[in-house]
Amino acid sequence: MTRPISRRAALAGLGTAAASAGCLGRAENIAGRDPHSQLTLEINATPADSDPNGIRIARQLEEHLTAVGIDVRLNTVGQTDLWRKVLINQNFDLYVGQFVETEPFDPDALYGLAHSRFVAEPGWQNPFGLTEIAVDDLLERQRRVTGSARTDAVDALQETVCDLQPFSVVAFPDALTAVQENRFAGWTEDRQPVSVSGLLELDATSDAGSGDDGSTDGDNATGGDTTDGGTTDGDTTDGDTTDGDETAAGADADGGAGAVLRLVTTDDRITENWNPIAAEYRKHGTFTGLLYDPLVRADGESTVPWLAADWERVDETTVDVTLRDAQWHDGEPVTAGDVAFTYEFLRDTSMGSVETAVPTPRFRGRSSIVEGERVIDDATVRLSVPDVNETVAARALQVPILPEHVWSERTGAATIAGFEFDFETTEAIVSNNADPVGSGPLRFVEATAGESVVFERNPDHFLARSASEDDADASDETTGPRAGIPDRYHGKPAFDRLRIEVLPSDISAVESVAEGLADATVSNLGPESVPRIGRSADTRLVSGRSAAFYHVGYNARRGPLSNPRFRAVVARLIDKPAIVDDAFEGYAQAAASPLAASPDAVPDSLAWIDGTDPVHPFFDDGGSLDVEAARAALRDVGYRFDDEGRLLSRGQ
Amino acid sequence: MTPFLSVLTSVLAWVAAMLVAASLGVIGPARLRETWSELRDRLWDTRRVVAVLCVVLIASAVGRPSLLDVSRLFGFQATALIYGLEGGFVAWVQATFATSELTAYFSWVYVYGYAFLLSFPAIAYLALPRTVTLRRVLVAYALNYAIGLALYTLVFAHGPRNVMPDMVTPLLFATQPDVMALTSEVNVNSNVFPSLHTSLAVTVATFAVLTREEYPRWTPVAVWLSLSVVVATMYLGIHWLTDVVAGFALAFGSVFLAYRFVDPRENAVGSDDGGEQGRSDPGTGADG
Repeated sequence: MTRPISRRAALAGLGTAAASAGCLGRAENIAGRDPHSQLTLEINATPADSDPNGIRIARQLEEHLTAVGIDVRLNTVGQTDLWRKVLINQNFDLYVGQFVETEPFDPDALYGLAHSRFVAEPGWQNPFGLTEIAVDDLLERQRRVTGSARTDAVDALQETVCDLQPFSVVAFPDALTAVQENRFAGWTEDRQPVSVSGLLELDATSDAGSGDDGSTDGDNATGGDTTDGGTTDGDTTDGDTTDGDETAAGADADGGAGAVLRLVTTDDRITENWNPIAAEYRKHGTFTGLLYDPLVRADGESTVPWLAADWERVDETTVDVTLRDAQWHDGEPVTAGDVAFTYEFLRDTSMGSVETAVPTPRFRGRSSIVEGERVIDDATVRLSVPDVNETVAARALQVPILPEHVWSERTGAATIAGFEFDFETTEAIVSNNADPVGSGPLRFVEATAGESVVFERNPDHFLARSASEDDADASDETTGPRAGIPDRYHGKPAFDRLRIEVLPSDISAVESVAEGLADATVSNLGPESVPRIGRSADTRLVSGRSAAFYHVGYNARRGPLSNPRFRAVVARLIDKPAIVDDAFEGYAQAAASPLAASPDAVPDSLAWIDGTDPVHPFFDDGGSLDVEAARAALRDVGYRFDDEGRLLSRGQ
Repeated sequence: MTPFLSVLTSVLAWVAAMLVAASLGVIGPARLRETWSELRDRLWDTRRVVAVLCVVLIASAVGRPSLLDVSRLFGFQATALIYGLEGGFVAWVQATFATSELTAYFSWVYVYGYAFLLSFPAIAYLALPRTVTLRRVLVAYALNYAIGLALYTLVFAHGPRNVMPDMVTPLLFATQPDVMALTSEVNVNSNVFPSLHTSLAVTVATFAVLTREEYPRWTPVAVWLSLSVVVATMYLGIHWLTDVVAGFALAFGSVFLAYRFVDPRENAVGSDDGGEQGRSDPGTGADG
């Protein structure tokens, strides 16, 4: 066997060979072939300042992909730019990110994430470009059937999605949060503490009215520096209360009035954009979720009527929703017309004004359940939800309701300086929604882009309003203005203002809480910040398992990521237990299924046991990557390597 | 007091103390007295260059947020390229040399030493009978900022501490979180290419070498401090080696251009068109 000649040498000799030998035909047959070159893949992630964990996953994957012979480009972009790249422009190979929902979610969440009907739409609907009939069928089926038939469908759906790996679930993080407990109490321990329900459940302590700017609290923190921090160390994620004897802060309390909940974050998006449907500006939609009320809210495993006073399944295909007496933040009443508008608008934000429908980039899976809407009277709307079960019908009611008188002005094609470009988007999607008008328990006050934003308690909201009414009304919880709302939300929120400040990194966020300048952190903390929390006596680590799983997303529109067998090998390059141990230092749970946080949703076949992935186990060789096994797996599914061990791919 | 103000106060106090010490030790009382008597004339001599520097600094402060948006949207995303080019060099630096003493030293140099390094030449060269060196150094500062800002806009990249947090510790912010309040006021984490810390420090060192006959005591101090700043940018995990190399290039380029723009013959008070040239050319640099 002769030694292969490099392409450059071949080309150099080609001219002479062709001219002298006169065998142009054969030379052409060789030169006309495109050469193989090394496969290049780009991994996109946010920098450590934005999220200390995601980049660690990206780094491990980068090392392992490089080891098997792939040329990897590890690219860091800001959070907005990452989602713009992945969700809006779909211009990526792989990305590392977090799912949008923090509370355990219904399996129907996968409908929006993986159904092929959304393949051409930008947004959180099928960002992977997966087109699998088997997945579509199961997604449709779990919407239709009930009981054990639905359980079976959901099991089969998870198994199919895990086999096909449009994305690799890596781990469900513990939402590490540093909190000051001397002003607000009741931080949730079992779920993400800073969430819509978590913030509404907070109670003000007697000290809450003090220290608007927090300057008085600074002394406490320094005084407590030397006390133990042991209780929040290690893996006691429930973190027993470390209540010190707090005295100083209450000194200048002015009767509980003006209680400000002060949060710190590294994510500046909420200071410049309040559009609930702008996919690239929303992380979990916590604060827009407090500005805009949905008809119903998922509350643990139950569904609570929220803006809806009640809803009723009239027959197989319709749901009648009656509204509470509610107002928009600008004083206009919330009507059935607004609800009907919202569903039509989410289907097509242009409301028919441009040729092709422009659907919403968020809430698409949920809003797609509703196929028609009719206003019965001012407070009643009839939604057409053909052929879906109760659970899924209730999910349809979880989208934010938008005021028609504001958003109907934004249905035109988006323009820049009056010029219309072919962006196939509407003003509604690109608007930053300055001065947002919602109906939620918080309303917007002011913001400085990149620095801070202030919201205030909406005194006209049904949660707050009921608190001031007489006892007779309050006792009649079946018909009162807050009928059906669990007690713990009555009279909430417990703060008059909510101020969110942007800081450069998780370390400075934790320091700010430890020094008493803030009450809690919002954005993700790295495990390195945990010891800092322990050093301050008033500061406590609260963490609950978040459903917002970290995952590696693949762009199935691009070869070779379009090949599920290739994706399966890439999935096996992710050492999930090592990531949980090293990057998260144990503050996460590795998983195979995206539903691992949802109660009883994961079939035995996908359960995470014995510390290895049940479907795509890591190529483990005593704790490090078994490169030869990985290469053998790639050869098995049809890939080839050159003699320097580089994975070959045809013209990308 | 907010962390920002407390850090700012301590930086000002340190720099003021070091400036006094260096003025006495390097410039000497005799020259300082002479400078005081001629202060008005010398300042008048440099007014145009000072104006240029102020314009550049104000434009940089005002324009930075919008230029950052431009950079995010249209800039060349270079993180992957730089990381691919040099890999774990900065991680190696940290793994090989990091000790708590060095971390304390480099953190101090990065913030306090750097601020002193940049401010002392203004005093030292003002104390020279001819203002040409002062004007050159100020023009070089202006060029550094202007070209640096242009490059920040063209190139979007994150530093090593943001890309490989598993191997590179953000030593400065981990040991002195308050400092982050200061640096985030004047910089953002995607402005890494080139390293302006490097380029300005090397600019000062270059001038210190070129003027070694005037201030023989300043030259070794400046060279030592500026090399410390250069190493600190990488040791602390803030900059890539690539940023530092680009910083050197920017420094030498700026010094070269400053010598070309500022004519030594033109020295007298209220002089001719030489100053005019000094004003317009850095403006061209800002566009490039």
